[in-house]
Amino acid sequence: MTASAAVPVLRVVDLSLRYLTRGGEVKAVQDVNFELAQGEALGLVGESGCGKTSVANCLMRLLPDNAQLVAGQVFLDGQDILPLSEDQIREYRWQRIAMVFQAAMNALDPVYKVGQQVVEAIEAHGVEPTLSLARERVAGLFRMVGLDPALMDRYPHEFSGGMRQRAVIAMALACDPRVIIADEPTTALDVIVQDRILRELKGIQQRLHMAIIYISHDIAVVAEVTDRIGVMYAGRLVEYGPTAAVFRAPLHPYTAALMGSFPSIAGEKRVLANLSGEPPNLIDPPSGCPFHPRCLHATDVCRQEIPPRVERGDQWADCWHPLEAAPALEPADNGGT
Amino acid sequence: MTGYLVRRAGQMVLTLFLIFTFAFFLVQAQPGDYASFYALDPDMPPEVKDQLRASFGLDKPLWEQYLIHLKNTVTGNFGVSFGHFPRPVMDVLIERVPRTAVLFLTATVLSFYIGFFLGKAIAWRRGGVLEYTATISGATLFTVFTPAFALMMIWIFSFRLGWLPVGKFLDPLVWRHAEVTANHVFGQMLLTAFLLTVFAFLALWILRKTGRVGLTRWAGPLIAVAAVVALLLLSLSGIGGLALDILKHMILPIATLTLISFAGTMLLTRNSMLETVREDYVMAARAKGLPEKLVRDRHAARNALLPVVTSLVYSLIFAIDGSVIIEGVFSWPGTGLTLLQAVRTEDLPLVMGAMVFIGLFSLLAHLIVDVLYVYLDPRIRYQ
Repeated sequence: MTASAAVPVLRVVDLSLRYLTRGGEVKAVQDVNFELAQGEALGLVGESGCGKTSVANCLMRLLPDNAQLVAGQVFLDGQDILPLSEDQIREYRWQRIAMVFQAAMNALDPVYKVGQQVVEAIEAHGVEPTLSLARERVAGLFRMVGLDPALMDRYPHEFSGGMRQRAVIAMALACDPRVIIADEPTTALDVIVQDRILRELKGIQQRLHMAIIYISHDIAVVAEVTDRIGVMYAGRLVEYGPTAAVFRAPLHPYTAALMGSFPSIAGEKRVLANLSGEPPNLIDPPSGCPFHPRCLHATDVCRQEIPPRVERGDQWADCWHPLEAAPALEPADNGGT
Repeated sequence: MTGYLVRRAGQMVLTLFLIFTFAFFLVQAQPGDYASFYALDPDMPPEVKDQLRASFGLDKPLWEQYLIHLKNTVTGNFGVSFGHFPRPVMDVLIERVPRTAVLFLTATVLSFYIGFFLGKAIAWRRGGVLEYTATISGATLFTVFTPAFALMMIWIFSFRLGWLPVGKFLDPLVWRHAEVTANHVFGQMLLTAFLLTVFAFLALWILRKTGRVGLTRWAGPLIAVAAVVALLLLSLSGIGGLALDILKHMILPIATLTLISFAGTMLLTRNSMLETVREDYVMAARAKGLPEKLVRDRHAARNALLPVVTSLVYSLIFAIDGSVIIEGVFSWPGTGLTLLQAVRTEDLPLVMGAMVFIGLFSLLAHLIVDVLYVYLDPRIRYQ
């Protein structure tokens, strides 16, 4: 655990979440801890079904009916939001913590004009006293994300994928939130648009000094725009640390494998180290280290006992056999050149 | 859009022509004609029957009759009813169509609102007492044998409780000394209802134009006040008692119709809404911190409305052709009953007039809903 100099805007303590399903209890999130200071960018990475989106939904308190919070606290500006009533949480949503949705395509209601959907959020929180001021604010937001304010009166189906993504970002910024969660913000876009939007989002975040959480399965995308990175596997945070340090020398074999699954343009030509298999079934997770069935370094102790925490500076991982400082795999180039 | 409407108008003319042709030959395919209705009348000598046929043109070859009829219809001449002789067909229809329209339109709107409201409520809160009660009773009423249910309603509310009249359009005892005709009173009632509707829409539109959310809340009370004023004016005008009598006769058929048909809209809304509540934009609306009521009504239900409106077309057509069963059980002198009577007596001009009217209204209802769709779903554009 690292203590930031500034007071954290967001602090997640021992968060555990289950889904009650017909097949049994899905342990979607287990003992997740992290904190986020003002202006900081955190990346949460992992394969699908590792609990990233569940963590995000906990932070917004947008959980399906079958979700059950087992333990933990989520402090937003020092206030634990998990025990709040539905009316109280509504005040927090969008004003303190907002979200850029996974599928921007579907996050906009097809029957309303895009500008109107942003105005709606502003009106719900009484951020601007009149409609015309609210519309002016939306025009400003549109300009900020690189959209022509005239597009406010267009419908979502008239937007391209990139434009929609920008509109969804503008929507997230509508009430000056302290924290923004970007859940796979650019996955549906082509690489060039993806890169441009990510850089712009990063610029806006730094300018407005907001905290942001990027959620992605693509560790390379997250690496470019974050200060810290958390790697999730089977509902647990398995590695956490400054992005540069994690990239230079991952401690957990899973992190190394994730990095190895993406090609590097600058590096030598090599066979991609594929992760074989799939993330475990969280109804009945593997004993010991949850990653052991897929890990190349797994031994008997990994199968039987929960791994200890290994620290190296600000970086930590839960692993029996942490990797040495010089990893076997070339890290993906993160734009440092 | 203009091009679309022009093409659509062309199609409607063609469809109307086909309806006309089909209806004409279908009615003629019945054995006998208007004169054979008197076949067993001993006071009617054969030569009088032939004279009757000749005067109505029934002795001419079929194709000639068809052409004459078509020419007259196109020029707006629907002819004279055989059965209501010498009243023109148009006169009969102008009297009967509004009666059916009011009855069925009111029932359609009511059952649409009740169905949509219940449907969205039970889709929003699954598994509650409301869901089971509404689904089971709705489905039961929807599938029940209509005449039996209508008779049951009459038995309960008219016979046992004695709250409402048994049937018919008015009570002759009330009207014995009336100085105005029923059609006049009914016309005044229609006018009041129409003006009130226009006022309600205008009020809503103007309040919404101001852009203040707080003001829209006043629309309901404002419309209620206007309705009370309108009712006061109607009762002060001297025909209040007569209007009340007609109104009393309308309650039972409208209630019956609403009860047997609301479940269709309700179940459709429910299914449609179960899909929209899972959409990302509903979650986004909630994430934005909108109150649950707005998330439900403005986003989930608004999108669920689209397929439900399609089903409304069919109910709207019902509003014109009426239902022979309901009008029959309640002896309601509307289009359905008139058409049935006309078909049975081979009153050819009246059948044809009614068919053209019904066809025209069905086509118009389709057109209105199609145009409405453009406003409900911005993704739809006609070229």
